[in-house]
Amino acid sequence: MKLRYGNWLGIGLWLACAMLWLWQFHDLSCWWQPLVVWAGFGLLAIITKRLGYDHSGLIVVCFLVSIGWLFLYRLSPSWAHDQFQGLLFGYAAYLLGLFGNWGHSEFKYTFGAAAVCLLLCTLLFGVRIGGAKAWLAVGSFRFQPVEFARVLLVLFLARYLADNQELLRVRSEWPIMRYWGPLLFLLSGVFLLLAVQRDLGPVLLVFFVYCTLSLLVVFSWRLLFLYMGAAVGGFMGAFVLFPHFRSRVSAWLVPWEYVDTAGYQVLQGLFALDAGSLFGKGLGYGMPQVIPEVHTDYVFAIIGEELGLLGTIGILLAYLCLTFWGMQNAASAEDGAAQYVGLGIVLLGTLQVFLVIGGILRILPFTGMTLPFISYGSSSLVAHMWMIGILAGLRGSKNELPYA
Amino acid sequence: MNSLMRKCFFGILLGYGIMLCGLFYWHLFADLGEHPANPRYYLVFSQPRGSFLDRNGFVLAASEVMEDGTRARKYTIPSLSHVIGYFHSRYGITGLEKTYHSGLMGGQTVWTTIDLGIQRLVEEAFAGYTGAVIVIKPSTGEVLALLSSPYLDGNQLDKKWTTYREDVRSPFLNRVTQGLYPPGSAVKPIVYGTALIEDVARAEQLWVDKGVVQLVDREIANYGALPLGTLTTEEALAQSSNVVFAQLAAALGTRLLSAYDRCGLGRALPFDLPNRGGYLPDQAYSDYGYAQLGIGQGELLVTPLQMGVLVAAIANRGTMMAPYLIRELRGGFRLRQITRPRSLGQVLPERTAVLVRDAMVLAVQNGTAQTANITGVSVAAKTGTAQNPHGQDHAWFIGFAPSIDPQLAIAVVVEQGGVGGTTAAPIGGTILKGALDILNRQER
Repeated sequence: MKLRYGNWLGIGLWLACAMLWLWQFHDLSCWWQPLVVWAGFGLLAIITKRLGYDHSGLIVVCFLVSIGWLFLYRLSPSWAHDQFQGLLFGYAAYLLGLFGNWGHSEFKYTFGAAAVCLLLCTLLFGVRIGGAKAWLAVGSFRFQPVEFARVLLVLFLARYLADNQELLRVRSEWPIMRYWGPLLFLLSGVFLLLAVQRDLGPVLLVFFVYCTLSLLVVFSWRLLFLYMGAAVGGFMGAFVLFPHFRSRVSAWLVPWEYVDTAGYQVLQGLFALDAGSLFGKGLGYGMPQVIPEVHTDYVFAIIGEELGLLGTIGILLAYLCLTFWGMQNAASAEDGAAQYVGLGIVLLGTLQVFLVIGGILRILPFTGMTLPFISYGSSSLVAHMWMIGILAGLRGSKNELPYA
Repeated sequence: MNSLMRKCFFGILLGYGIMLCGLFYWHLFADLGEHPANPRYYLVFSQPRGSFLDRNGFVLAASEVMEDGTRARKYTIPSLSHVIGYFHSRYGITGLEKTYHSGLMGGQTVWTTIDLGIQRLVEEAFAGYTGAVIVIKPSTGEVLALLSSPYLDGNQLDKKWTTYREDVRSPFLNRVTQGLYPPGSAVKPIVYGTALIEDVARAEQLWVDKGVVQLVDREIANYGALPLGTLTTEEALAQSSNVVFAQLAAALGTRLLSAYDRCGLGRALPFDLPNRGGYLPDQAYSDYGYAQLGIGQGELLVTPLQMGVLVAAIANRGTMMAPYLIRELRGGFRLRQITRPRSLGQVLPERTAVLVRDAMVLAVQNGTAQTANITGVSVAAKTGTAQNPHGQDHAWFIGFAPSIDPQLAIAVVVEQGGVGGTTAAPIGGTILKGALDILNRQER
């Protein structure tokens, strides 16, 4: 596989032009940061290629991360600075994903237990920042465990389903608890933990990934209806239990009736997209100050306003490429378990993109998650870099590779 | 596994497709720019904005910086609210403010054809009435004054919005362009001209008017069924004889309808403001039906704008000029844009137009429009009293002055004003006289 010098050069040039453009709003003392971003990804690509893995996904990720960094810099240079620091950890996480041989690792229960531990720790020792008690602090170092916990959970799910598929396929009227039990027990425990923390986005994601994977392993209509029933039941339950969920739903269905309260953010996002029209107003000429949480939740809306339909389609296409790349890698993995792991990771990332963009476009209720690689949030960035590393490591990977 | 993965991939592809549709919709098709909760919409209200000027350069609307640093739109004369519209952060943008919004925001100045002096005069002369007035320069089609009463005051929207909304006379309606009225006898000049063209009658032909005429099995009567005796066709127009014009219209038949159509009735005009076409039936089912249309009753409906353009065409020797409100756009980044007068065609032959004019002069000298007489100036005019099924009759007045080389054409309609000659004609005469004085003063 070639290194695609043209693509890398193109991204570099584009990034340089965008930086020069941003000169009219900010000083360029951080000019070296995008250079490091770009060079870092290039280095990762070279390493990946040398080791015989598939590096082409990195081009797309580099593009997305650059766009994210640019918009954070445009919003506030300090956010871009944080994101840059996060990215340095992200490079490490990518290498961890690449070398960790996660597709073949036998430690599935360890992953599950680690996920539960992380969530429990958050519940017990969590730090409250901006309303949600979702952070763990180790010294001056803070991170959001749920971002990593859900990847661990998907790893666990995929391995469990793959390793036990013969048992799970045993025909019976109801799922046999001896085989399904551990899985369902862990999942429901995790969902409960997340629900207590009122973090329903990851619940939705993991639930959906679980449903898809388990239906791929053993398809039955009964199971499908069971999942649909569980989804509807969960929705009802959340609707009754959580007032913030109710307000999110009403902000989704009738935002204009809550113009000043719950629907404000949704409407402002739509106004931004509308203002962007086809070509956008130009980088730096939008109105991000009217959108609450624009750097985490709604960065896509401000991209829509400033780069227009062409920009947002470009980003959507980039995600589509990444999904396609991930699925190719998953399909090319040599054993079934690794394929499930790959598919689970791809589904996790893609669904998050759908939930965020769909939430902004009012196709789905808004869940308040980050847009992978673009939104402000180091934990999310690191976790997604890790996921990309895992996916990259799947192609051509064999059990006898290092650290197996 | 791979086939399952393929299924999965198609599901994901579908998801991307839905997102793409959403992007197209919200970026391109959802029109949210003027949503009241959209802060972008209010940005324009704090930015500098171009002015509206009258034909002589007097300011009609301009942005003023207030004491607290914000900007507010100030209108020199409230009666132009139906033309210029208003520009208000809560109530939106209407009229020419809306049409030329982007140009105005780019610093352009809009020079209108309105004459501030004449508009003021019209406002004063029409005070207290409900209805519409339009004053046109016949040779070019420039609209010198346009009044629809009642009107809004663009400076006092905050204070009076509820009053305006609750006013049963609907001050939001531009009666000049949107108001539909039966024209009554004001349409008779066309019937007269068409009868002359089609050789159905000659100007000096004698008629005997007994006050009532029998058509098929129904009767058409003069106003108050007054017998007018023996009179020529020209005098019949001056005296507004329904008896004679019912017979002319019945004799013309469908030719009358095509003449109406040629004169632009039933069709919207090319104009700077949205306007309605009124209603012109395709045919009438009996001589009585044609007779009704010939005296401006029946199904026929017109806007004051159409009548104004029509009388201007008679004044302009049969050539109908397209009415316009914008003389020139100037300034900003764009090129200067100047509107040239444009002909909509010859609606009456020149000789016929002159004969129609003579009959209309007779109406002022010795007919129903005597109340519009101006000493020292020859005025040509026609009144109308249109039957109104909802109440008192609407009073019409159309005319122009001076009859030779006309400077002004005017159409006035007073809603529920009663007889045209008593209500509308004096208003029309006052406006014509004052406006001619203003134009003469400007020339000097």
